[in-house]
Amino acid sequence: MSALAGFRFQLRELPHRPDHLLALVTAPLMTLVFLAITRHAGRADLAGHAVLAPALIALWQMALLVAGELVAAERENGSLEALVATPSSFAAVIIGRVAAVTLVSLLGFVEAWLAAWAVFGVVVTVAHPVVFAATVLVSALAMAGTAGLMSAVFVLTRSARTFQNSLSYPFYVLGGVIVPVSLLPDWLAAPSRAVFLSWSSDLLRDAVDASTVEGVLPRLGAIAGLGFLGLCAGLLALRRAVDRLRRTGTLGHA
Amino acid sequence: MREAGRALRVVRASAANAMADLRVVYTPVTWTFGWLGRIVMQVVFFALIGVLLDSPERLRFLFVGNAVMVTALEVMMCVASSSWERKAGTLPLLVAAPTRLLPVFVGRSVQWLPSGVATASVALFAVGPAFGVTWTPWRAVAAVGCLVVVAVSTYGFGLAVGAAVLGLPSLRNVSSNVANTVMMLICGVMVPVSFWPGWVGATARALPLTHGVAAVRGLAGDAAPGEVLRDCGLALGVGAAWFLVAGLLFERFAAAGRRTGSIDFAD
Repeated sequence: MSALAGFRFQLRELPHRPDHLLALVTAPLMTLVFLAITRHAGRADLAGHAVLAPALIALWQMALLVAGELVAAERENGSLEALVATPSSFAAVIIGRVAAVTLVSLLGFVEAWLAAWAVFGVVVTVAHPVVFAATVLVSALAMAGTAGLMSAVFVLTRSARTFQNSLSYPFYVLGGVIVPVSLLPDWLAAPSRAVFLSWSSDLLRDAVDASTVEGVLPRLGAIAGLGFLGLCAGLLALRRAVDRLRRTGTLGHA
Repeated sequence: MREAGRALRVVRASAANAMADLRVVYTPVTWTFGWLGRIVMQVVFFALIGVLLDSPERLRFLFVGNAVMVTALEVMMCVASSSWERKAGTLPLLVAAPTRLLPVFVGRSVQWLPSGVATASVALFAVGPAFGVTWTPWRAVAAVGCLVVVAVSTYGFGLAVGAAVLGLPSLRNVSSNVANTVMMLICGVMVPVSFWPGWVGATARALPLTHGVAAVRGLAGDAAPGEVLRDCGLALGVGAAWFLVAGLLFERFAAAGRRTGSIDFAD
């Protein structure tokens, strides 16, 4: 129930915060950027890459900038004490809100497809819709788990918020959102595979492509596993963050 | 003459405020490992598309374009920092003061210019060689000069956007991000301006970044000094026009605010 309440609250709040929808405002334009690059190079075969990349960026960016801010924003707003004092599970409320942000960020996929069609007349067909849908779903869950971790870390270590804006492009590279990890230098392979986005982007591109998709279940398992790890670490960090703020009496100190 | 001297004093005082802001926003450590790292990774991210395209030539094109773009990107942060005056509650006092708003806002966000030139310089000269972008010493010095031109001329455009949304502070980040992405799209950063239909090209030429990117590309290639100077001149000319637009928009904002009493003391 607490998670559902958090989910509903976040859905109601989002339309009133233009900043929070920034990723969805720029996603269509970014689609045009990537499509322009690939089309200028005469590589119509890379349209799938160009359309998927902005959607994945929107997914990550909203989680980073909106979901990652949730606890810190409550603290700055002076409402964190009241939230923690209620009999509901604080973690459940936050997870519900993070899930709402992640769900809304999936609109980036729709926007990217529409922008490609409306401006360049490019229609990217999904050759394996079931694999595609499953990957989007599992990736969204993994993103929600990872965003929960970010939210807790940004409260636990104030200095981490200084670097919050820096967690975008390094992860777009490691996550292979447009350039597959296989094309990156070998030494980046290991850290890339620790980022769920790298599994998601590869599998989504394969789902768009007409060739047979191999190893679907293990790859979905890798996304889910990394997301679950993020969720567990997030819940643990959230509990530690709130315990520490209670113990030190700094709960409402922005 | 007296008016000009007063405006310069206002710019200087406002610039001191801006530099103090920069010292609060960044320490040398957070600027280097946080901001610079993020900016370099942005350039690398887009340049790597050249690897996907299997084209070293396009990799270099994307690298140079995006390295110059980061100067504009950083300068466009003036849209947000202009609205900080409204948030701080100082805007009504500025409107009431016996000076025009433009000199105040010209000084107010000047901190982003040196930062933008520095980040792009690191990208071009420290990271560039790894992407096949190399420089002779004099061309490197000239490229820094071009980045200064990009910063100054884009500042005019950024202030105009900032003035346009000063009354709508909740849109400050959205407007600057949209402007940045549009510049990225049409100003010759990702693809040549000639890729787009004529009307898009005409729009691009009304933005200073288009000419600044062309100047740096010329230096990274083998353009004659005259061509580079022409592009820099165009960037500065277009930038000056945007400063004029910014001045008019600030005055309009102040006049409308006085008339309707809509200059809030805070958000």
